[in-house]
Amino acid sequence: MMLFPQIGRQDPALRFIALALVAGLAVLLVGLWHVQVVSGKRHLEAQQNQSMRTLRVPAVRGQITDRHHQPLAFDRPVYHVNAYLDELRPHFQQEYRRRRTPGKLTRAQVSALEKQVRFNTVSNFVNQLRLPVPMTLTEPQLHWHYTNKLALPLPVVRDLTPAQVAVFMERGGAVPGLDVAVASSRTYPHAAAAHLIGYLKRDDSSSEDEDSFYHYRMPDFVGRTGIELLFDQKLRGRAGTRTMLVNNLGYRQSEHMSTPAGAGHNVVLTLDLAIQRAAEQALATARPDVEGAVVVMDPTNGDILAIASAPTFNPGDFVPRIDSDAWDRLRDPQLRPLILRATQERYPPGSIFKIITGLAALEAGGLNPAEIFSSPGHFQLGRRTIKDTAPAGNYNFRRAFIHSSNTYFIHHALQAGPDRLTEMGERFFLGKSTGLLPGQEVAGQFPDRAKLREGWAPGDTANLSIGQGPVTVTPLQMAVMTSAVVNGGKVWWPRLVDRIESPEADAVNPVEQFPAARLRGDLNVNPKNLDTIRDAMLADVEDPEGTGRRAAVPGMKIGGKTGTAEVQRGGRNVDKITWFVSFAPYENPKYVVVVMIESGSSGGGTCAPVAQKIYRAIQQLERSRSLPSVTQVNR
Amino acid sequence: MFDAALTTHQRRLRPDGLLLFALLGLMALGVAFIYSARAAHEASALIAWHKQLHFRQIIWYSLGMIGAVLVCLKDYRTIARWSLVFYWGTTLLLVAVLIPGIGAMRYGARRWIDLGLFQLQPSEFAKLAVILAMAQFLSRPQEELRQPRTLLKAFGLMALPFLLVLKEPDLGSALMIVPPGLAMLYVGGVPTQFLKRFMGGGAIFVLLLVVSILFAPPKWQVIKLEDYQKRRLLVYFGMNYAPANATPAERARALSDQRRDSYNVEQAMISVGSGGLTGKGWRQGTQNALGYLPRGVAHNDFIFSVIAEESGFVGSLFVLALYATVLFAGIRIASQTRDRLGKLLAVGVVTLLFSHVFVNIGMNIRLMPVTGVPLPLLSYGGSSVICSLVAAGLLQNVHLHQKSL
Repeated sequence: MMLFPQIGRQDPALRFIALALVAGLAVLLVGLWHVQVVSGKRHLEAQQNQSMRTLRVPAVRGQITDRHHQPLAFDRPVYHVNAYLDELRPHFQQEYRRRRTPGKLTRAQVSALEKQVRFNTVSNFVNQLRLPVPMTLTEPQLHWHYTNKLALPLPVVRDLTPAQVAVFMERGGAVPGLDVAVASSRTYPHAAAAHLIGYLKRDDSSSEDEDSFYHYRMPDFVGRTGIELLFDQKLRGRAGTRTMLVNNLGYRQSEHMSTPAGAGHNVVLTLDLAIQRAAEQALATARPDVEGAVVVMDPTNGDILAIASAPTFNPGDFVPRIDSDAWDRLRDPQLRPLILRATQERYPPGSIFKIITGLAALEAGGLNPAEIFSSPGHFQLGRRTIKDTAPAGNYNFRRAFIHSSNTYFIHHALQAGPDRLTEMGERFFLGKSTGLLPGQEVAGQFPDRAKLREGWAPGDTANLSIGQGPVTVTPLQMAVMTSAVVNGGKVWWPRLVDRIESPEADAVNPVEQFPAARLRGDLNVNPKNLDTIRDAMLADVEDPEGTGRRAAVPGMKIGGKTGTAEVQRGGRNVDKITWFVSFAPYENPKYVVVVMIESGSSGGGTCAPVAQKIYRAIQQLERSRSLPSVTQVNR
Repeated sequence: MFDAALTTHQRRLRPDGLLLFALLGLMALGVAFIYSARAAHEASALIAWHKQLHFRQIIWYSLGMIGAVLVCLKDYRTIARWSLVFYWGTTLLLVAVLIPGIGAMRYGARRWIDLGLFQLQPSEFAKLAVILAMAQFLSRPQEELRQPRTLLKAFGLMALPFLLVLKEPDLGSALMIVPPGLAMLYVGGVPTQFLKRFMGGGAIFVLLLVVSILFAPPKWQVIKLEDYQKRRLLVYFGMNYAPANATPAERARALSDQRRDSYNVEQAMISVGSGGLTGKGWRQGTQNALGYLPRGVAHNDFIFSVIAEESGFVGSLFVLALYATVLFAGIRIASQTRDRLGKLLAVGVVTLLFSHVFVNIGMNIRLMPVTGVPLPLLSYGGSSVICSLVAAGLLQNVHLHQKSL
């Protein structure tokens, strides 16, 4: 270098100083190299860690609709007014300076004043909007948000109507730090099919395919029961990520959406909303404080058209959060509104079991439907007298059926033998669950052959034949049974979910299609015997003597069977379970309606009128749907 | 004497171009990065343009350049004759700043005299005055320097301002007096034995001091350092604040204090490191913009962090190169002088500037503990800028007024 030769040998002191300078600069150089080049990445990460925050943004939850795409559960957009604290900060500072009394303040005083200033500033700005809705924010809430979630926007007014949003758009521009944001709120129109749809619980944890670490999470939900639970993964979609840059105080500086959320899929059910609502209304008006269930099924393929259960609840109560009083009411041990009585409770079938008894006796060959049987009005089995609601007299199959004669059926059941009876019940898959709603279903009880060998008395056969004793069923199982009887012997797996659709509006093919008409088994019985049963069921409604006459609807040929089962406890009758299973139209059955009501007076008195209302509604529905709509005519 | 024409000093009409160029480069960088350091904060947009710090820095640069030019007008030998006047003048100012009415108390230290538009920091001027006085003192015949009395006087010359600055308290600035003094003693021809003994003694003293501060219980500490100075040392060595027998509550408190105090250093490191090879770009420094590098220090003590973050290793290298140019131009000037005064002056100024550069940049990368030492010409500050430029002016003076022969 040009310098060193000039220093030369004459001046060792200066050379020493020069070398010392070189050494010093070299040390700095090496140090900088180490910090900037070698460790540069590490420092960059440290800087990003301290200044970046990630926010989990949940996706719009998929819709649950009925078969005609009528929504049963969907995310409704809601509008909130949010305060952005980073924009309001200069106003906080200004207000603080204005309010501050001269002189020294203790730390506690400063802190209290700051809290007050923040809240008052936010309130003032919100008031400037002159919205007709009051601010929902309280001072403790503001302080909590300030301490824990400073970088996030703070909702100050919730759930604006579109008119109020318009008001905000007019006036909001003049007010700093406030803006309207859209969120979604799960809505359940008519609270229909609440037990099937299920309810949500707050849960903002990440799913398996998402990042597990987030600094902040926006509120999210997960299904707890019903379809919301069973298809939660598909409905929930995929959460998005928003990253924010925060400054050293935690205020948000800027943000960008690094991954947009992927909306959830839609689930299309086989339900028909109109029929569902009709069923729910009919059930609700059956009697005061009704506890019961209705199942409407399509016998041609096993599709569920409606399932109603009373008492019911509103899944909307769980959004955004259920309050403790409402929750306590939902867990009432007597009413148990959360239980889906159509599948989660098992009941003695009572006289509706006579369908199976009759079929078994017919198949056994020993029963001639035309043969007259003379009934004394009760059945004497050893020392036990089994009462009969049907009066003493002569009965053929049809008459015995429509009067629901215990004597007749017990006699022929004993004749056919318990083996035949249980074997026929097994063909209907009694005692086995239908798999419709895993976790929300019981299988019921039905004696299997082994039990017969253990200790089985004729009394048990008698009980079984009239649907009492060691047999309990769910209303859904009874719907499957009725469908099998009227459709020629096909026992279906009942189907509730038709398909899963992609959230994109223009997607043509469903993401997943569940096949209809899945056969579980065939009754393999003589079709004539099924005809006999069907005719008897028609008579039960149409004949003025029939127990089910109160289900009759002019213009529709309905067949059915009533049932009244005794519930015994400690040898005494404590309750009655009333039933009515039915189908229509007789010529070409398209609907099976099963009504079960606890503590009713009788099947014919309590349940048949409910079925009648439902069939009326179905009749009107068919008429309105077959009429060409106005738009079609004009086209 | 026989050649009157040759003995009169010849004035070189051209100043050292390399030195000038490097100084201008540093000044340009200074304005640019002070602007960047301040522009990131919203409040800065509201300040009138003539009150903005980068603009005021330009004013200080201008004043400093005027001062440097003035200094160059007269031969340095003439100026040196007035060295003692300057010396006692600055000593007076150092005493004055300690008086409550005159010196302004800021952050627990009285270092400035508030003159309205200008904050005068006497310690900066004192450093220059000490160099001038020492140079003049040591330019006597070398034999005299072997006498212990002379040596003691030389130390006394350094010690008086050192102690006064220490009293402010401003340990960093006080310590900046030592290296130039030592360098001048060494180059001036003081016997190396004395120097070695002095330095050895000093080193042991410093070691004991540091050990006693870090480890000894309070009763035993001989020299009382200010609380914040003690903490800076602890932070530098990465040691726990709480002594071993502290209660959990004390320990928790100490931890939070420690985090707060080491915050500046950590943020500076992150700033420097995250610049990487090429930096984030001018005015794109996120550490500064987001406020992680505290506003109060980003434009002066930690200006290098801003530069390093925004221009990366390449930029840091460039800054070092500019300083190296200044320093080695000074060394060249020192080597080219014929007389001892010039050489001593040049060496003193070079060492002064180098000490500042080394300590400040070292502080930014945690090679040195945090001290309040500015980076010459790049840190914002009127007194520092003017003194740095006047010091450079002295270098040019020595260069310009060379005795031929």
